[in-house]
Amino acid sequence: MLTFLEPLINGILLGGLYAVIAIGLSMVFGIMRQVNLAHGELMILSSYFTMFFLQVLGLHPLLALFLIIPLMFFVGYLLQIFLFNRGMQRGMEPFLMISFGLSIILQNVLLLIFTPDARSLKTALVIKSINVFGFFHIPLIYLVNFAVGILVFGLLQQFMKRTYLGWAINASADNVNAAKLMGINTKKVYAYAMGIAAVTAAISGALVGMTFTFYPHSGTQYLIIAFGVVIIGGLGSLPGTFIGGLVLGVSQLFGGRILGPGFQLLSGYMILLIVLTIRPHGILGRR
Amino acid sequence: MLEIRNLDVCYGELQALSGITLDVERGRIVSILGANGAGKSTLLETIAGLLKPRSGSIRLNGKTINHLEPHDIVKLGVSLVPQGRQIFSNLTVLKNLLIGSYTRLARKSKKKALENVFNLFPHLKERMHQMGADLSGGEQQMLAIGRALMSQPRLILFDEISLGLSPLVIKMLYLTVKRINQEGMTVVLVEQDVKRSLKTASLAYILQEGKVSLKGDPKNFTEDEVRRAYFSL
Repeated sequence: MLTFLEPLINGILLGGLYAVIAIGLSMVFGIMRQVNLAHGELMILSSYFTMFFLQVLGLHPLLALFLIIPLMFFVGYLLQIFLFNRGMQRGMEPFLMISFGLSIILQNVLLLIFTPDARSLKTALVIKSINVFGFFHIPLIYLVNFAVGILVFGLLQQFMKRTYLGWAINASADNVNAAKLMGINTKKVYAYAMGIAAVTAAISGALVGMTFTFYPHSGTQYLIIAFGVVIIGGLGSLPGTFIGGLVLGVSQLFGGRILGPGFQLLSGYMILLIVLTIRPHGILGRR
Repeated sequence: MLEIRNLDVCYGELQALSGITLDVERGRIVSILGANGAGKSTLLETIAGLLKPRSGSIRLNGKTINHLEPHDIVKLGVSLVPQGRQIFSNLTVLKNLLIGSYTRLARKSKKKALENVFNLFPHLKERMHQMGADLSGGEQQMLAIGRALMSQPRLILFDEISLGLSPLVIKMLYLTVKRINQEGMTVVLVEQDVKRSLKTASLAYILQEGKVSLKGDPKNFTEDEVRRAYFSL
């Protein structure tokens, strides 16, 4: 019994992190019907920003986020205004191509500046863990990740529910032309949405940097996790994305426990296939 | 208030409107009629900025608005109630209305505007917290009109408000249109329901294949004239 409690609890906690990784991808798809292949790179870019602030200014990653969040918001906002908005009317391909190009450029810029060495954000948080009934350990950083995940999702949900911009985002996602007729500048709304997606990338970048090691090309790996989460949870659904994160996290750690550590990733994607077979639109996906 | 001169609008190679010249004076109800595909909706969507004309001009209070984006045209006091209602199904009735007052100016007086809409359509107040998707066709049309009024326009364009609705609801909607007009709003009605539309308007244009085929005071139209303008029969 207790042998399964550990992967369950750690899986849920890891799932909270996965959910934050995926939420930006899910939002952009839900709102613009576009796939941002550079989401992973925006994340890793933020990991490097966090590392810069930690090494140069000695700022704790969670404090550095207060600087990195506005910075990444503007990065996302400007990317949408100057790059993505230009290809939006012509279907999905231009956006895919632009974001793919952007991801390659970002990877190589990071490679040039930071070299291909493995990095991690070393803080006191990383080495601490909590002992549960003397049977197993929960890394403290996993708890922090989960708490931040809950906070991010709660704030986003309230933002979408209570603010004019949140309604405008919903309206533009539902019917672009009708949204325009309300006086909504949809291109600007998309830019805000991309800014918010980049903010979630910034947060997950800092968390991932504290939890795991990262390289300039790590973005792809997390993009695939984000895809998994979004497909399991249902595209464009906020609560769905959170549940998707938990399901992927738990199934990875269970698979790792039962079948051996080498099967961790595989078992996650087996669950993905099973969900796709039973509910092709994801757990909470629409249509 | 609205002056349209020699307007050409195309969908790719297909010419939808050619050489449309049309005037809407302040305080009027102007009706635009025509068979399916005559270009009525295209005309309204071009005025609202959703479509861009190939040539010609649209002037609002003397200002050319051809190349403005839809959200800028809303700011100038023009609101379109689109064909098929186009309610935001993922927002509640109240939020559908509030999003109608999205522009900075409209937001300041949204309370008054909301009161006014609930006054016109008490039904919507009862359904305030339901999702837009859960309303009946008639209620959705009321919501679409209310949402357009929330921006406090001076010119309101209706695209097929009676489409697919019961006679009772249509009658009620037309009374509302008249009431809105009496409160000082200029109205453009695009409609397939010829009789009711001609009865309500003080000036009518009939379109055929993207051109104006008849124009004038509908009281002076003979049935023969209208038929010819519609179908060239």
